[in-house]
Amino acid sequence: MTAPALRLSGVRKSFGKTEIIRGVDLEIPKGERHAVIGPNGAGKSTLFNLISGRFPVSAGRIELAGRDVTGLKPFEINRLGLSRSFQITNIFPKMSVFENVRCATLYPLGYKYSFWHRLDALEDAAERAEDIVQRIGLKGRRDTVAGLLTYAEQRALEIGITVAGGADVILLDEPTAGMSRSESDAAVELIRRMTEGKTLVMVEHDMSVVFGLADRISVVVYGEVIASDAPARIRENRAVQEAYLGTTLTEVAHG
Amino acid sequence: MSTNAAPAGREIRFEPIDVGRWFVWGFTALVFLVLPLIFRSGFAITLLSQMGILIVFALSYNMIFGQGGMLSFGHAVYSGLGAFFAIHAMNWISAGTLPLPISLLPLVGGVFGALFGVLFGYVTTKKAGTPFAMITLGIGEMVFAASLMFPGFFGGEGGISGNRVVGEPFLGITYGPAIQVYYLIATWCFVSMVAMFAFSHTPLGRISNAVRDNPERAEFLGYDTQRVRYLVLIVSAFFAGISGGLAAINFEIVTAENVSAARSGGVLLAAFIGGAMFFFGPIIGSVIFVLFAIALSEWTKAWQFYLGVFFVVMVMYAPGGVASLILMNLRVMKYRLFGRMRDAYTGVLLSGAVLLVGLILLVEMSYHLTLNFATGSRTKIFGFGFDGAQPEFWVLAVGTTIGGALAFEAMRRRFASDWGAVQEQIEDQVQREQRA
Repeated sequence: MTAPALRLSGVRKSFGKTEIIRGVDLEIPKGERHAVIGPNGAGKSTLFNLISGRFPVSAGRIELAGRDVTGLKPFEINRLGLSRSFQITNIFPKMSVFENVRCATLYPLGYKYSFWHRLDALEDAAERAEDIVQRIGLKGRRDTVAGLLTYAEQRALEIGITVAGGADVILLDEPTAGMSRSESDAAVELIRRMTEGKTLVMVEHDMSVVFGLADRISVVVYGEVIASDAPARIRENRAVQEAYLGTTLTEVAHG
Repeated sequence: MSTNAAPAGREIRFEPIDVGRWFVWGFTALVFLVLPLIFRSGFAITLLSQMGILIVFALSYNMIFGQGGMLSFGHAVYSGLGAFFAIHAMNWISAGTLPLPISLLPLVGGVFGALFGVLFGYVTTKKAGTPFAMITLGIGEMVFAASLMFPGFFGGEGGISGNRVVGEPFLGITYGPAIQVYYLIATWCFVSMVAMFAFSHTPLGRISNAVRDNPERAEFLGYDTQRVRYLVLIVSAFFAGISGGLAAINFEIVTAENVSAARSGGVLLAAFIGGAMFFFGPIIGSVIFVLFAIALSEWTKAWQFYLGVFFVVMVMYAPGGVASLILMNLRVMKYRLFGRMRDAYTGVLLSGAVLLVGLILLVEMSYHLTLNFATGSRTKIFGFGFDGAQPEFWVLAVGTTIGGALAFEAMRRRFASDWGAVQEQIEDQVQREQRA
């Protein structure tokens, strides 16, 4: 019996007197593609920030592959095998696409803080970065400064940076936000390809993306997980429909 | 689209840059070698030596400032303390207690610079941004105050002096003549330049750029941003210490001025004027700064005023520094559009020269009236006699300034619109090339 990729028990978070996350228990087995949905302000992004160490939890415990990571810093959690993307594009805008991805490979490949290696001589880093750049479809833009990419390209690069380190658990925060239909279809395909064999947790608003990609869905409302189940069961869950989705779900189900 | 079976990312890349790099470094070495043969006067050698020292210092500063995004107001602490240890080491060499050739003295400065980087950097790099800047300012003041409090080590107001001509001459090198000192500085400067350039192409160097641009992203890629800042600062303090050691050899005296806020501010000016976003920017900035501080100060007491004005103008109109001006104009030339800028440049430069002459008249007459009153109100500017007590000279100066300013503003607008049009055309051309 292996430990789940991610386990949250009794996780709470307050900002001042306001409790945003009110006791979340969640278990995500290895290799699962898990979506977190819920209305605006439900605390989905906060939950991500807690898991990735951006904010400290107020109470509770977070385990990554059986290891307690509660209270660790983002870079420590990252080194233990969890990588995340951001809702607002978070790349290195002045560096080329290739440099962006290569930066993400350096620590995991063991180059850490080295100033005795010549960057251009690191073939493993270059090879891995070239491979990622190709797989996110930006080969033709390899040497373009990231700040000059189109929005959809920047989102793809963000996913590339997130997976380039080889982390086993990938957190994607609204990867298709602000995309057109065709762009988000391409993004879903990209996410599926890039997270093959990994555990994926994503926050997403676009229901077609969620139902197209997720093995299991958790619904967060007012800082609590009110349901966590397979897509088909979530669709039929009365509490979920009442609390949040209602018509949208039926439309998706029959559309 | 090629569909051959080459595995992704494994195709061969030609890197013409590397060939270019050898050429650039070779050319730089040649320049260092040949310069004192062209400019032979004692004054020129002094200038060149000081440029070499400042280049090392400014490049070391830019490791944290331009490359690492840390605005420091106290970098002279590392070069200055390095210089103090170097001058003491020089005196120990004289006394026969330290068996070390003078040529390696800069290394003493570097090691102690780095040690103080370890010590002070631990405090300063806990924070980034404005708090970092504030802490460096505080530590700078602290060290400056300490340098006057412990005369045993720092020599009080008079500083510590030494004598670089010690020991047996090695291959006839005594470091008595200034030209020998120049070549020692040039050698250390060249080696330091290459080393610092190499540093910018290591994992730590690149990640320091990443931390500068987006510290949060770097943290989620496994990097402790505080550790990155700390390590970069230590390396930078090492090279700052080397420049301090070179200064100790060159001047044979180190005083509290070496750790002062003025020194820290000067290196910031040099790095910014040259262009902090480019590796070679601070080199240009150092040359300009030394020309102001040593050459211009021979002509006028107001040199710091002019340097200040120049700095303000650069910050307002060319925040990328001289390096960015050069690169942008090279780009215009590459697309063969420089001809279209010729008239605009002529206008701006001519009107700018008139404005400058007017300003210089005003500044020089004011300085002369207030500072040299004992010698009378007459002075020579540009070889002509001026009398600050006669109103017609002030009318002339004010008139020239206002006329120049009006003309310059008109020419500047024209320049800006021409420049914009040319840049647009280049962008168009770039996009067309990309599509092709």
